[in-house]
Amino acid sequence: MRERRLTALVILCATVAATLLISTQLISAQNGVGQEGKKGDRDEPPPFYNPYPPGILPSDLTQEIERVRREVRSIENEALAQWQALTPPTLTGQPPTLANTGMKANQLLGKLMNFDEHMSPFENRACGFCHMPYAGFSGPIPSVNLTMIAYPGSFQFRAGKRTAQRYTYSPNFPVLNFNAAQGAFFGGNFWDSRATGYLLGSPDAEQAQHPPVDTQEHALPDTACIAFRLQTAAYRPLFEQVWGAGSLDIKFPHNTEEICETPGGAAVFGTNTMPIRLSPEDRIKANNVFDHWGESLDQYEASPDVSAFSSKFDAFLADPGDNPLSLDEMAGYNLFRGKANCNSCHLDGRSTAPTPPTGTAPNGEDTGAAANARPLFTCFGSSNLGLPLNPRDAFFYQTTPDFFGFTANPYGFGYRDLGLGQFLRSGFGSAPSPNSDWTPQAPTNDGLMQTSTARNVAMTPSKCPTTEAPGPYFQKEFFHNGYIKSLKQLVHFYNTRDVYPFDVTSGHCPSGTIEKVTCWPKPEVPNNMDMTIGKLGLSDAEENQIVAFLQTLTDGFTTPYPDINSYTGQCQTGGSAATQGNESLILTPALPPCPSAVCGVSPFPNPPIQ
Amino acid sequence: MNKLLLKLAIAAATGSLLSSNPTVAQLSPTTPKAARVRITQGPELELAKEYLTIIRWTTNNPGGSPEHFGVVHYGTDPKNLSQTAKSPIRLNPSHSSTIFRVRLQALKPATTYYYTVDSMESNGKSDGVISPVKKFTTP
Repeated sequence: MRERRLTALVILCATVAATLLISTQLISAQNGVGQEGKKGDRDEPPPFYNPYPPGILPSDLTQEIERVRREVRSIENEALAQWQALTPPTLTGQPPTLANTGMKANQLLGKLMNFDEHMSPFENRACGFCHMPYAGFSGPIPSVNLTMIAYPGSFQFRAGKRTAQRYTYSPNFPVLNFNAAQGAFFGGNFWDSRATGYLLGSPDAEQAQHPPVDTQEHALPDTACIAFRLQTAAYRPLFEQVWGAGSLDIKFPHNTEEICETPGGAAVFGTNTMPIRLSPEDRIKANNVFDHWGESLDQYEASPDVSAFSSKFDAFLADPGDNPLSLDEMAGYNLFRGKANCNSCHLDGRSTAPTPPTGTAPNGEDTGAAANARPLFTCFGSSNLGLPLNPRDAFFYQTTPDFFGFTANPYGFGYRDLGLGQFLRSGFGSAPSPNSDWTPQAPTNDGLMQTSTARNVAMTPSKCPTTEAPGPYFQKEFFHNGYIKSLKQLVHFYNTRDVYPFDVTSGHCPSGTIEKVTCWPKPEVPNNMDMTIGKLGLSDAEENQIVAFLQTLTDGFTTPYPDINSYTGQCQTGGSAATQGNESLILTPALPPCPSAVCGVSPFPNPPIQ
Repeated sequence: MNKLLLKLAIAAATGSLLSSNPTVAQLSPTTPKAARVRITQGPELELAKEYLTIIRWTTNNPGGSPEHFGVVHYGTDPKNLSQTAKSPIRLNPSHSSTIFRVRLQALKPATTYYYTVDSMESNGKSDGVISPVKKFTTP
């Protein structure tokens, strides 16, 4: 009798548990906008992954995701029309060349790929989702830029760990190299330079290969899924025109859609990175298609559609008489290359002739000639600026397995972003380094992040013409972890990091101070901190002049910037640039020690990172 | 006169060849090293907090690699400056002076430290700066 009662109780509990589990999944599924299963055998969309405490995901996230997706599809349709209007190139000559419109065809192919949502398991994420034209091809959602900083991937709400870098001028970065004369690394793409260009000769092309198979971004589980989805793309004829007839003739097994609609990292795949079973010949073809994917995207990003060299500063360089900078802009430029020393890393391409030995830094003599008529405002190098840890970074919260059994960050707040150093070790959160000769350099590169071009740092949608409060403005995010929310703050950080340093984490500035104004929390990674900056001695007005100069580096002054008007969201208003976003600061929790899987990989950080 | 024109023409041609490579043009040049790198200001204490001390000095531009390190040798015994702190900075080749700043962390409170400074290229080649031994006391 007792045994029967126990059995009945067990059955009852199991039934309740199963009902709860199913109903939870259904409720979640009903919320699953943009995560719908369209093909294959998937009956119900998987439940959202939401390990986040209340307030970490912005409240308008679902609407904003759908808003950007509409914009992405609109630009994709525009690109399809541009392709239809293009006079086809003629294959001729030796070596055979797509004469006349071949370059345009390849760039358009890249654009079509960039805004193609099908290149993700749930067919809801294009590259453009995180890289929209009106933000200089960086993050398009103001509330995400304000809070979680990393963008939600195809399987919502997995998210990466860093801000979306701007595409503009990324094709100009050289193949990652260690320059023995300078004793430093130059080139590569990504904040940690992990797209080296070692195979394709273009870091930018290799950069374009990472997000489609990044578990927290597009999350395709196999690079061959790109070729599989291209087989049914509307623009397949253009791909075959550019890369050759038959290039997409690959015999995929019957379960390919089922595989490609399952996000990477799923437990079902184990450690298999090539779950689609292809013949050796077809695998080579799929690999070639994957390379061409990167190469065409690179050509799009290098084209005037993206890297336009059409800023006010370009016009000024070409003809200062006809296109003068305003007094504030000119003062900002002189500070940029003088007292503030910004051009020691953000090279402005001006003459670097030796100055008279009696000169001082702000008065250093400029011979007036442009050494580089198209300066890129980067040295292609990397540095650790000492940014505080941003406790809103979505990565810190993804500590539990999702529906597919994947955990992005089992270390939670123990994780530290070591940037280039971690890549040189092939460490957690980066990618395998293709050159073990570089590995011993890891400790002197811990915490280093790529020096972005300053070009287009201020680009915003036309309808929200500035990044700065009170606006109307478009909320952007700056640096690798989005801690900085306005250009005023950015310049103030360079100017006063070492004037107002406090041994606290973000959210814990002492009373009487204002975070980001008179209090800078301690750096996330204290090793190798760059000391070119930190105490520049700029006045408040001088900071503003540098901001005014940075705004002259936005493309679209001499010719309209393509798709700049595609933003359909709202502008932000109110407040001041100095404290912009401070209302969203949260308390950083007590940080656990950095785990050995992150900070204990040989060659070890020196000094050790706590 | 003609020789001078010829030299100028060759120099111009060489310059245009170099600048045709965007990568070459984009990297800061490695400039000739100064005959003697001398300190024009400091070294001195820029900041002394419980957890962070910054030492600062200015030199004429030492040249060489733009990637440089400021170096502070320090210790509590003026005859045994056994500890070293290094901080990276980037020279600006078009500036005639360079400010070096070095961070010292995890120092003991209420303790007098003695120090000298030097600087070096990022490959370890010293700029040969000579500085007197100075001291400071932590809060």
